[in-house]
Amino acid sequence: MASISRRKFLIATGWVAAGVTGVYALGKHAVAVAPTIIFPDETSGAAWVQIRPGGVCHMFFPRVDMGQNANTGLAQIVAEELNIDVEDIQGVRPSTKDVPPLAVTAGSMSLTAFSRPLAIAAATLREGLRDRAAAKLGEPVAAVLDDVGGFQTSDLRKVSYADLVDDTGFVIEREVDQAVPALYAFDSARQKTQVGHPKSPLGIRDLVTGGRVYTADVPMEGVVYGRAVQPPVRNARIASLDTSGVSKIRGVVTLVEEGDFVGVVCTTPSAVDKAIAQIQVTWDLQQPINEEEIRRLVDVDAKMAAGDLEHILQDKAHRRNADWSVDLRFDVQVQTHAAQEPRAAIARFNDAGADHRLEIWTGTQDPFGMQRFASMDTGLSESDVVIYPQRLGGGFGGREHYEVERDAVRLARAVGRPVKVQWTRADEFMASRSRPASAHRIRIASDDQGNLTDWWYGYVTGHVVFARERLPGWLLPVARLSDDSGVVKGAIAPYQAPHQRVECEDVDLPIDLGVWRSLNGASAIFAIESAMDELAVLQGKEPVAFKIAQMQGEQPRLAHCLASVHRLSAKRRLPEAAGYGRGFACGIYDGRCFVAVSADVFVDEVNQQINVLHLCCAQDAGMAVNPDQLRAQIESNLVWSIGMALLERFEVADNTIQSSNFDNYTIPRMRNMPTLDIEIIDQPSLPPTGAGEVALVAGPPAIANAIRDASGFRALSLPIRFADI
Amino acid sequence: MKVKVNEVEHHVAADWHEETLLTVLREHLGLAGTKFSCGIGQCGACVVHVDGSPLNSCLISVADVENKDVLTIEGLAGGDGSLHPLQQAWIDENVPQCGFCQSGQIMQALALIGDTPDPTDADIDRAMSGNLCRCGTYDRIRKSIKKAALVMRSTS
Repeated sequence: MASISRRKFLIATGWVAAGVTGVYALGKHAVAVAPTIIFPDETSGAAWVQIRPGGVCHMFFPRVDMGQNANTGLAQIVAEELNIDVEDIQGVRPSTKDVPPLAVTAGSMSLTAFSRPLAIAAATLREGLRDRAAAKLGEPVAAVLDDVGGFQTSDLRKVSYADLVDDTGFVIEREVDQAVPALYAFDSARQKTQVGHPKSPLGIRDLVTGGRVYTADVPMEGVVYGRAVQPPVRNARIASLDTSGVSKIRGVVTLVEEGDFVGVVCTTPSAVDKAIAQIQVTWDLQQPINEEEIRRLVDVDAKMAAGDLEHILQDKAHRRNADWSVDLRFDVQVQTHAAQEPRAAIARFNDAGADHRLEIWTGTQDPFGMQRFASMDTGLSESDVVIYPQRLGGGFGGREHYEVERDAVRLARAVGRPVKVQWTRADEFMASRSRPASAHRIRIASDDQGNLTDWWYGYVTGHVVFARERLPGWLLPVARLSDDSGVVKGAIAPYQAPHQRVECEDVDLPIDLGVWRSLNGASAIFAIESAMDELAVLQGKEPVAFKIAQMQGEQPRLAHCLASVHRLSAKRRLPEAAGYGRGFACGIYDGRCFVAVSADVFVDEVNQQINVLHLCCAQDAGMAVNPDQLRAQIESNLVWSIGMALLERFEVADNTIQSSNFDNYTIPRMRNMPTLDIEIIDQPSLPPTGAGEVALVAGPPAIANAIRDASGFRALSLPIRFADI
Repeated sequence: MKVKVNEVEHHVAADWHEETLLTVLREHLGLAGTKFSCGIGQCGACVVHVDGSPLNSCLISVADVENKDVLTIEGLAGGDGSLHPLQQAWIDENVPQCGFCQSGQIMQALALIGDTPDPTDADIDRAMSGNLCRCGTYDRIRKSIKKAALVMRSTS
């Protein structure tokens, strides 16, 4: 793209006063692939950070806020480069018209993928302004030194950013082949003022004072209320429909029936509840929905007995008939997101001649995906659709799909007024795309010193990234020939053996599936870490030293985490009495994030319950940009570990979803909380690797291993109930 | 119908008399800080105080609070914008992740400290276990309650 058009873009966004620009493409997708995957390159940050007249740094937050507070960390990086305080950055959540397309916020990738492009943009801006400061001061550039919010000379003549940026607006160019300026944020020798410091999440005041930050809080003139009936599974078709009772309800504006879509629009929320209750639907299903069917479909032993699994992930001198020391089958149940905010969306159609024919307010992990899907759904061009992303009341992988948005769009189109759709909690469960059930067979053989000789791990799970309707129908069978990147997460163990084979198969399950925190990582690593712990127990070895030995020096960062958590756990004495136990586990999320967890549990025979008393975690996430928020993500993952290990089970039966609210899908509460001890292994010279879904891979097996230590019971199925013991 | 929320009297139009208190607060009176999450009193996101007692506003009709005093999260800070000690403690400890449950958590914690000025861990477990936080900020909520309670004891 020529520089002139780049300039034009910045001006057209209504944003430019001063800006940095490299080359970035306003790309359209060749095929409509969901979710939006366009990761930034070294020049992308130009569109997100600028200094405006008055010297204020404005920043378009390139990530969706859903509790991970990644934008705060990214703003710290910008602030470090510009020698300002993160609190002085004016952050703006961009709509789809403000910035070039952004990737879906997912995969614990925000700091990993976005920190460097932002640092380059901010540093380019700083150096461009330094040139102007030099001209203004009549000094060579080398004599213009950094100062807070600007520059100074050695004799303390000062020029602030405000002095350098006026109303005319200009663009600081950096050609792509030009050297990247010095990046302060990534200079491990540098004394930093922003990066590495525990800054409060930007916008935190709104969150404790009742500010309007979520979709359903957005005020809208003339809004009416709507909702559609959610099918138990997306590919269900309406078999019979009776809407005759709807007209009896006061406040109904309209009933909308389009194929398998049926919904209502009313003047008040309670009228919506009453009208929806009057709609009687039965569904035609393509597969029966019940637990026996799910168990049958993921039966790893049946599949492995029939031959190789579909995807061979590791194959090194495999032996089918070793003398197995451990030969265990693990089953992991379906779990769902259960974010605290049930999804909501507001859609408004505007008359021809308006800037945008369709506007949508929604809390989504993928705003540009929503723009694309709304365009396909309505026949409007993408440029006629604008998405205003709102803060999410929790994401966890569950908010990547055009669903509540679709409901709002179709209902708003039908009534010609803005429509707010607020899903009920039951809708939220019904429409959830859950983490699939999976079954895992692990066989390990060892020599007479106890070292691993053979490792054979096979597992079967529902699809994750290639789940139904996550890709266009024509693309799905093609895509599924290759490895599903969600299904393979966590599959390769950190342990070394001369003979190793890992194989897996992903299958269609009768419920809707998708991305859940850590994808398959937590399931696979539960199986791997349980099996290794069992081997250590059988050999009478201390599990931490045993596991580190079996890594054979290949995983120093993981070994360091495990040794650290061992030390942390030893700070607290485990009671000698019966029923107490301690367990350890470690894991690598996505090949880049390293974590270890220890758990102390009490198996309480009197009250017939399993209590997690204390959890320790040591995590190496590379450079800790914001240690406090990194710690917050670890805390969150540890709480989820308790849910996954002991509480959460997504119930299906009788051809529908039975889990409908928090009384029949149990998530951790305050009374379930153990004490926590967390150590962050800071690696200032290594790039940040992400934290959003990391510790969850090690927490559940640590709890399971602690139960083994406490009671002798090896958990082969999650969640673990006291009755199992 | 008139309802008094945060010391201000509001008129509730006839079309809204059959709604829950939560719906009226959010959709009719423009007080969106109180959240809808479960709708059956299982999660505590919608906790407000009615005549000083914490209630799930998703479970009660607006008609039930006629002539009563309702306090919501919006009424907690001082008129000059000064934060309540609980809100300040929540910021000091960086409690919120997604933040969605936090209005309800703070309103529930307010009731706890009102009854129990120096709450123990067991008091906190008992009082706060009806308030879900899917992000798992419980450890920080516990710390913040203790911190705010200390501030409130020392200033009262």
